[in-house]
Amino acid sequence: MSRLYRILLLLILAVAFAALLPWQWYPRDWRVWYADTFGASGFQEQAATIPAMPDDSSEEACPPDIKGWRKSQTIAGVELSASPNCLADNPHAVAAFVKGTNNVGHMTLMDARLSPDAVVKGRDLDGDGDPDEIHIRLEVFELNGGSPDLDVPVTQYSIAPGITPGVWVFAPKSAGMSTENFESLLAQPGLRLPSPAIRVEQGDKVIVTLENTHYMPHTIHFHGVDHPFLKENGEGNDGVPVTSEKPVMPGKQRSYEMQPRQTGTMFYHCHVEVQAHILMGLNGLFIIEENKPNNWVQTFNIGDGFVRHSSVGVKEKYDREYDLHYQDIDKELGETIQKTNDPRIVTQLINREYDISQADVEYYTLNGRSFPYTARDSLIVTAPGETVKLRVVNGGSEGVAIHTHGHKVTITHYDGVEHPKPAQIIRDVVWIASAQRVDLELSTEDDGLHSYGEGVWLMHDHQERGVTTNGFGPGGNVTAIVYERYLQDDGWPMTFGMGWKNFLTPGFYQRQEDGSGATTLLPGVEESGPSILRLLMLAALAGLFAGLLASWVMKGRSRD
Amino acid sequence: MLLLLASLIVGSSVYGANEHHHHQMPGMSMDATGMVMGNNKDKLPDDCKEITGEYEINVIAGTSFAEPYASTMFGFNEHEWQVEPCSRITVNFKNEDDVRHQWMLHGLPKYLYDRGMFHMEAAGGHSQTGVFIVPSDDKTYLVHCDIAQHMEKGMKAQLIVGRGAGDLWSIPGVSADFERPDGLFAKSAVFTVAISIFVFILALVAGIKFFRL
Repeated sequence: MSRLYRILLLLILAVAFAALLPWQWYPRDWRVWYADTFGASGFQEQAATIPAMPDDSSEEACPPDIKGWRKSQTIAGVELSASPNCLADNPHAVAAFVKGTNNVGHMTLMDARLSPDAVVKGRDLDGDGDPDEIHIRLEVFELNGGSPDLDVPVTQYSIAPGITPGVWVFAPKSAGMSTENFESLLAQPGLRLPSPAIRVEQGDKVIVTLENTHYMPHTIHFHGVDHPFLKENGEGNDGVPVTSEKPVMPGKQRSYEMQPRQTGTMFYHCHVEVQAHILMGLNGLFIIEENKPNNWVQTFNIGDGFVRHSSVGVKEKYDREYDLHYQDIDKELGETIQKTNDPRIVTQLINREYDISQADVEYYTLNGRSFPYTARDSLIVTAPGETVKLRVVNGGSEGVAIHTHGHKVTITHYDGVEHPKPAQIIRDVVWIASAQRVDLELSTEDDGLHSYGEGVWLMHDHQERGVTTNGFGPGGNVTAIVYERYLQDDGWPMTFGMGWKNFLTPGFYQRQEDGSGATTLLPGVEESGPSILRLLMLAALAGLFAGLLASWVMKGRSRD
Repeated sequence: MLLLLASLIVGSSVYGANEHHHHQMPGMSMDATGMVMGNNKDKLPDDCKEITGEYEINVIAGTSFAEPYASTMFGFNEHEWQVEPCSRITVNFKNEDDVRHQWMLHGLPKYLYDRGMFHMEAAGGHSQTGVFIVPSDDKTYLVHCDIAQHMEKGMKAQLIVGRGAGDLWSIPGVSADFERPDGLFAKSAVFTVAISIFVFILALVAGIKFFRL
């Protein structure tokens, strides 16, 4: 064989090998050189000026409200205000939470997907026109858990496009399936992160029953809520396995009793293996409202956010009320329930092997979502000249430094206790430690202090990691204070910066595109690894190449 | 407190009694003890001329039935039932736990059963009874509890009609292989590595032979 022929063959082999090698296996410098020389296939010049045109993989920014959940309506005699955000809470469920699931009709319960004993409201003990005996039933659900049959998470819940960390949540006792329907793997809308805000009235006789529908033991501890250490029958009531009672095992239930004497924004959480269970999502707001006549409070606020039926006391002082639940998530902790289907191994992974002192946080959520999904259901919608109440809790492991663009907010309460008026401070960064609650008063009076006027004003954690999703931005707990004039009819904000198309594509948070809006700077990274066929061809080429080299070496030897 | 509890219990059971009469869909009932959907005592599937068999099965659900099967937490007393085609099956479903459980069967004809489903849910400590009629074809039907993770952790069963159509995956005591292998030692990964090495060696030998001409 002639020398030229051999070199030609070698070249062909090398080119074929190079073409088959996935892009991401090349060094980045080589890819930059390639993009500089030949241009990158996905490159769009000045994408920000091009109107957002969703492609196949892009999600709709704001799904249409087919069921009419956003409009103001009266259900079971309960008047519900319109919900300005794109995704509204199920109004049937809200009505059932206000009246009690024992006081609404069959169809309301069916539409709410609630059990008839989820929220049982009993007698009016003080004769002021509202029920004071409240029996709440909570179940525990696993979202994005593992399955022996599927390679994808089941009872799915996305915090951002394509991001499905394994979490656990408390939820009001439901009826029927956990998924949307049999064909769907998606969790039904009532099952979501965060665990819902619970509201009762000061002086109510409250029973909270934990029905443990999960495969791990759990309890509930009522943090900051006035409750006795022991119940009247001598059983533990503090929810702490090491001091008050044993955990509630799978398939079992236990009731907690309390009659809170003080008002305020409090907290509840599971107290089993707290370094993991709280951060898996088993924590939520517990709010005790002032005792007022005819005060039917909305016992649950699913997913937190806008309070559709505020209490009498809040309505007297405020135009709107929002619950804000901040939570950070460790991806590796969430993966423990996706890796295996064996509860014994999950227990081993969480109780023995998981080391929180070595953990790092990947996801930052507000009301169970990260940007851009926060814009669907957790915008703070307001109008000029209003006073808005924000009840904020930090359910995560790191502090949160909430910064409000265009506004300075007044901190009225810390941990549910009101500050005397002269001591109330006005800030544009509010630091909230883990498990801490603050009540904020957001005034939209355009005086250059409380508000700088109308707009779409961002509101976010100013510890910069908090505005990322897996270290990639924009993501995290970013939301906005949006004035009605800047809100489109469908509840999506009017924006004047970059198009949001890229952020609504799962590939974006897989780092397939960069954050500049100009997208693919470098030749694309493929979604999954190379196929088996491609690997086999690579192996064959590598074999031929090695064979060629070997034959040369052998030939060289035979000549000697 | 006891009085309060008693009043709540009475309240909810009175409520339950009232609600029982509100049947919104044919074959459906719902109250505080649970619900039955797709109840069908007499409507024959199109392919059946008559009811050829009568079965009554007693199903018990609870965490105690998980004990015999590794890596489960919930279960039924049995995870497989066999009936003849065109049979009428009465299911007495008892829940031994203190939380909800379901016995839900999928894949029935949609013209007879809403979304092709026969569905029972029993509240903790309660029982439900329901009846349904299966069509004539040999088929294996999935039975499960659709509360998050209950199927995954053992509440999965199959109803075989006639000769059936093969076992479903991960049925405790039937086809359970509950540990899904993953990572480097997954079957597919091992297979790919092995075959790649084989192809490499083959090509190496071929290369040496070819280029030594």
